[in-house]
Amino acid sequence: MSERKFICVSCPLGCGLTVTLDDNDNILKVEGNTCPRGESYARSEVKDPRRVFASTVRVRGGKLPVCPIRSKTPAPKGKLFEIARAVAELEIDAPVKIGQVLLHNVCGTDVDIVASRDLAAI
Amino acid sequence: MSDSKKIDVLIIGAGPAGVAAGIGARKEGAERVVVLERDWDLGGILQQCIHPGFGLRTFKEELTGPEYMHRFIQQAYDAGVEFHTNTMVFQIDQDTNSVWTMNKERGIECLNPGAIVLTMGCRERPLGAIHIPGTRPAGIYTAGTARRFVNMEGYMPGKRAVILGSDNIGLIMARRMIWEGAEVEGVYEVRSWPGGLRQNIAQCLDDYGIPFHLKTTVTKIHGKDRLEGVTVAEVDDSMIPIKGTERFVECDTLLLAIGLIPENELSRMAGVEIHKVTGGPVVNDLLQTSNPAIFAAGNVVIVYDIVDNVSDEGLIAGVNAARYAMGKISADIKRIPVIGGENVQLFSPQYVTGETDTTIFMRVTHPIESACRVFAEPGIYSQRLRYARPGEMNEVKIKAEQIKALGELKEIMIDIQPL
Repeated sequence: MSERKFICVSCPLGCGLTVTLDDNDNILKVEGNTCPRGESYARSEVKDPRRVFASTVRVRGGKLPVCPIRSKTPAPKGKLFEIARAVAELEIDAPVKIGQVLLHNVCGTDVDIVASRDLAAI
Repeated sequence: MSDSKKIDVLIIGAGPAGVAAGIGARKEGAERVVVLERDWDLGGILQQCIHPGFGLRTFKEELTGPEYMHRFIQQAYDAGVEFHTNTMVFQIDQDTNSVWTMNKERGIECLNPGAIVLTMGCRERPLGAIHIPGTRPAGIYTAGTARRFVNMEGYMPGKRAVILGSDNIGLIMARRMIWEGAEVEGVYEVRSWPGGLRQNIAQCLDDYGIPFHLKTTVTKIHGKDRLEGVTVAEVDDSMIPIKGTERFVECDTLLLAIGLIPENELSRMAGVEIHKVTGGPVVNDLLQTSNPAIFAAGNVVIVYDIVDNVSDEGLIAGVNAARYAMGKISADIKRIPVIGGENVQLFSPQYVTGETDTTIFMRVTHPIESACRVFAEPGIYSQRLRYARPGEMNEVKIKAEQIKALGELKEIMIDIQPL
């Protein structure tokens, strides 16, 4: 048996979570959460930690030189830097529409990178 | 703009509070609702808050700042709110409530709306607000300025950063710098508790192994043209640097995340009473200031932790500004003062009218790391808490009917006490 402690990042409450694992890393119980999101965060954090990735990409001919992007869904935590490098190489043309898919299945994660704002052309 | 139809509600600033105020005013029935914005685009500071975590309460999903604003701006257009960008308000006359604006195409205009909503947001405390000895080289920015550079203008402020202060913006920028390939040597906080949310310490610092030093501050800045490093030192309980703990830290960038101040130049011009602790207008639960025709909402009143609260307040201020413009708010409404107890650092609103259900937002002066109780006396509200921390606002909820039932109430006392 072992214990792992996390701060839940699902909302601004930031609950302190304690996960009890058996010797094969199976989850026996989750404590400290105040809602179901906390429990699923703890489970995901043990088995497959994920984060939403957010950054910018270069834009040609836009009202701003960069456009914010995000991973549409949370991406594997261990792949964030690889994703950051893939995103850094992107350069897109204005106009940009919010939600527009810029990279499908980034770094083989099954996660899409989408624009997170509208950006008009100059 | 000024020679056309009379403006019923004029809103200053198209950030989250202003856009929501526009929606609130239109939904309440105000005919012409105009939001003025000095930037070329709408959305205010949320344009640069490209990280997720916004709107969990309002939309039940985790949005980035621009996505959150996109939804509100869409709603505002649908509701018939009129926006004017590239428009700067440079004066509000105290006697007439005339609003003077400046725009490249329309020149200078004088507007006389039925009601005004102040939604100018807040500013960062700058380097000048704290006294750090040493030089003043390039490479020192407030965290928000750096965030604008990185997220909107496409510049990196430097390669190796030290962050002074642990406000949410600083924590968010620590992760942002890492994701952009920079190093973050550490975050230094002079107090013995963090300024930002625990959630952000976990996901912005701990995730990337960025050291977080409490009770430690920057005591000297080094470098002639470009920042070369800072001296950091631990501080005692009176925040005085402790001799012998000084350490030189090499860095080319110093980001300041040392607090936000409500932005109230215009409010002062308008003669609105400013609260000496919050730094924002004194308001009642209708978000009406000391000038009955002027309302205020969002970070211009009190600096909130989360944008959902700012939008909620914007809606309330917009609704009530519309009601005022339509002559629906009486001049002799009740004004029951709210008094903060010994553990209350600041709170808003400062007056309760009993006309509406309301939430009083408050911060404790010091962390209480055990079970405690947030309450409003006499017998209005009581809620058990697991802890109370200055970085995380607490709420007191008051119902209009409770105030009515209490009759002649002299004051409402709010506080948080350990159990």
